[in-house]
Amino acid sequence: MSPEGTSWGCRRLGVRYGATVALEEVSFEVAAGTVAAVVGGDGAGKTSLLRALAGTVRPAAGTVRRPDERRLGYVSAGPGIWTDLTVDENLSFSGRAYGLSAGELDRRVGGLLERTGLAGARDRLAGRLSGGMRQKLALAMAVAHEPDLLILDEPTTGVDPVSRAELWRLLAASAAGGAAVVVATTYLDEAERAATVLVLDRGRSLLAGTPDEVVAATPGLVVDAATRPDGIPSWRRGARWRAWSPDGSTPPGTGLATLDLEDAVIVAQLREDQRWAA
Amino acid sequence: MTPPEGPREVSGGAPAAPELAAAQGATRRFGELLAVDGVDLAVAAGEVVGLIGANGSGKTTLIRMLLGLLEPTAGRVRLFGEPPSRQTRARLGYVPQSLGLYDDLTVAENMAFSAAAYGSQQAVLEGELAGARDVLVRELPLGLRRRAAFAIALGHHPDLLVLDEPTSGVDPLQRARLWETIRATAEHGAGVLVTTHHLGEAEQCDRLVVLAAGRVVAAGSLPEIVGDTTAAEVRTPIWEAAFTALDLARLPVSLVGRTLRVPGNDAAAVARVLADAGIPAEVGSVPASFEETFVVLAGEPRAD
Amino acid sequence: MWAMAMKEFRQMRRDRRTLAMMILLPVLLLVVFGYAASFDVDQVKTVVVGPRAEQVAAALPERLDVVRVAPGEGRQDAVEALRDADAAVAVVTGDAGQPQVLVDGADLFSARSVVTELRGRPGLPTPEVLFNPGLETSAIMVPGLMGVVLVFVGTIATALGVVRERQSGTLEQLAVMPFKARDVLAGKLLPYLGVAVVDLAVIVAVGVLLFNVPFRGSPLVFALGAIEFLFVTVGIGVLISTVSETQGQAIQLAILTMLPQILLSGLIFPLQAMAPGVRWIGYLLPLTYFVQVARGVMVRGAPFEALLLPLGMLAVLGTAVFGLSIARFRRDLAPAGRDHGADAADVDQDQAASARAGAR
Repeated sequence: MSPEGTSWGCRRLGVRYGATVALEEVSFEVAAGTVAAVVGGDGAGKTSLLRALAGTVRPAAGTVRRPDERRLGYVSAGPGIWTDLTVDENLSFSGRAYGLSAGELDRRVGGLLERTGLAGARDRLAGRLSGGMRQKLALAMAVAHEPDLLILDEPTTGVDPVSRAELWRLLAASAAGGAAVVVATTYLDEAERAATVLVLDRGRSLLAGTPDEVVAATPGLVVDAATRPDGIPSWRRGARWRAWSPDGSTPPGTGLATLDLEDAVIVAQLREDQRWAA
Repeated sequence: MTPPEGPREVSGGAPAAPELAAAQGATRRFGELLAVDGVDLAVAAGEVVGLIGANGSGKTTLIRMLLGLLEPTAGRVRLFGEPPSRQTRARLGYVPQSLGLYDDLTVAENMAFSAAAYGSQQAVLEGELAGARDVLVRELPLGLRRRAAFAIALGHHPDLLVLDEPTSGVDPLQRARLWETIRATAEHGAGVLVTTHHLGEAEQCDRLVVLAAGRVVAAGSLPEIVGDTTAAEVRTPIWEAAFTALDLARLPVSLVGRTLRVPGNDAAAVARVLADAGIPAEVGSVPASFEETFVVLAGEPRAD
Repeated sequence: MWAMAMKEFRQMRRDRRTLAMMILLPVLLLVVFGYAASFDVDQVKTVVVGPRAEQVAAALPERLDVVRVAPGEGRQDAVEALRDADAAVAVVTGDAGQPQVLVDGADLFSARSVVTELRGRPGLPTPEVLFNPGLETSAIMVPGLMGVVLVFVGTIATALGVVRERQSGTLEQLAVMPFKARDVLAGKLLPYLGVAVVDLAVIVAVGVLLFNVPFRGSPLVFALGAIEFLFVTVGIGVLISTVSETQGQAIQLAILTMLPQILLSGLIFPLQAMAPGVRWIGYLLPLTYFVQVARGVMVRGAPFEALLLPLGMLAVLGTAVFGLSIARFRRDLAPAGRDHGADAADVDQDQAASARAGAR
């Protein structure tokens, strides 16, 4: 396990694919024993950031600090499991690839299967698992060798709520064990649970900090109303509407809203859209 | 953890608007497997009904029965008042999880195909979508793809819209926009049935139906379902140790920022576990979030 | 119904690979049947030895194309010439009497045409058929089929095996694991190479035992040819996998490379019977050289020295193709900020997105 105070991340990272700029000037840090969330829409650059951290993509600019590849665990969006192998075979392959001896592998696989609830499916083909179980398998494969840095690309997208809760419990357990955990997600309620959050938009860093810091830094005012307010950018939230008042005034018929991360992200996105449109 | 309660039927009165889709005691077996067990469900014009369930809960099977792709082994399924048939399909709009678009055609070509198939006018594309008319679907970002799929499904003005996980993988602003379209459709008189894993979206629905293991375990509006479920909230400086202790005790503990939460109404049990482990902590009872309620409702004790 | 047809048409227009197949294949077949598909060998290379070599050479029928007149050589040299495929017919003259005509039975169609011609002219000596006295087709087809099997296993199986990884998105996972690119490739290819070797052994056994195909030459030389050939076909397989995103595409490309090889390599239609304009294609195909090695070793018992040309060509082709395929494969796995890594990355992202969208 990495000593207290170790952190991994990147500084002023830039990633290009040919002529396309996927990431520009992104700085990000995750400390051992914490969970960091990376948030952003499709194409924001989450996968590129995670790949750069994992080392499958070479940065075009900036620096990346990561542990040796044997101390790293990665779950790609996908996820990267071999569907025509059984659960057990997948774990064996992964374990051996990371250099675990047969003995260590034996010991750990049993425990991992128990913790992820896959013990009953040990000899089932991975292709036959439900989405949630596949993600858990991928996670088990990534933590079998007790990495210092654990990277997961959208592990909970399209996964049922119960499995999602279980996955997060496993992630928390990993962090409790001292690993630094980085998770890309489109779910803001998950991001709110993380110790730090990074919001990406079009390859750039939009917001960064603890969830509380990010929320507090929202400029202007977010208001709540029963019907769509006029004149200011607005969006649906549940059965009601929310709107953003940049100058801090409260339009008639609206009241102050209790801000959360989703509001902060939406406001940031609206500001970016305005800037791009201008 | 408290055992799962029976289905919480909350009376909201029968819908006054015409029922577009209904299932009564719908059951479906696949050999030994009982995928759907006596499910009642109704979608009326003008409302958005959310169907929520874990994988394996029978959600997909139920939808396929409603769409007429599968026959129920028992019970009744009605689409526009009659058993599902080819005739009624023109009044139905369906967007599957995989979007049902052809990757290697442009948006405009997909629209043309759909319009020709339904014998309708082509859908109107607005805003960003209009600019993407001639882009191949596979080159669109996910958010735009989903919006294109919607627009196309709405092209023939269906009375009932069935959407399978319409906002999966999409960022919050796009999600909010998609939901605006969904609600606008309902306000224009269509009925919408949405399945989702995203419990935050549950707030956007008029009514919810929660499925677990093929049965309805809760139905009604969001506040009705959450009711008075509580969770135990644990504040302690040494969260790692507390987490490990609760985890070992097989409690469904989750980490939120720096506090721990255990859904379920048994805060005392949580306190006991921590005390036994010698971990100093404040344990309080707080209202559960929908997700936590869901975990309680889904009922099974932790799989491991 | 028209809507469906319209949509299909639009999709088809964009699917370049299928279009290529639909257009190129008929063209290929036309070329083959127009210019290549012939069993009639017009000119048969002949060697004349013995004391009266010059006189006899002058008197030989048109069809026999005399390439060497060697009065000082005898029957043994003649046999060797046939064995080494220097010529397909050897005429051994003596001081008096009818010369002996030796025909290479392994060069089946040349042999047949010569035998027919000579039999039709009374007064000319009866040819003696060496190596394949019964002029049996199986004797020369079975060695050729071995080549086909190796092409199949090498190209298709390999291409599929690697593309499967790309298609399921696990290639990215492999890239993160502490594997070196060569470990991944070697590990992936080993089972297929093993199966190919077993296949080959089975076919040789069946051919020899069941179809009485001879195996006169050195198994070592044969093995060398087979291994070199495998390198080429496996290399082609890996190359195909680096430009294919799905297994379907891989198979299309594999078929496109296999079909010309089967038709134009001299396996079925003899090279000499092909119009020169088409024959040169055959000389570019690896299967051509393997067939020469297989037939040479098995049917004629040709020694290593005689087979230097085909073995050498296979070695060159093998190094080039295999080397190129490794280089391309490495780019898929290694950290890249450049184009090819990008294509793989973008593809994976899209696939991942649709996989997620479709996953339950």
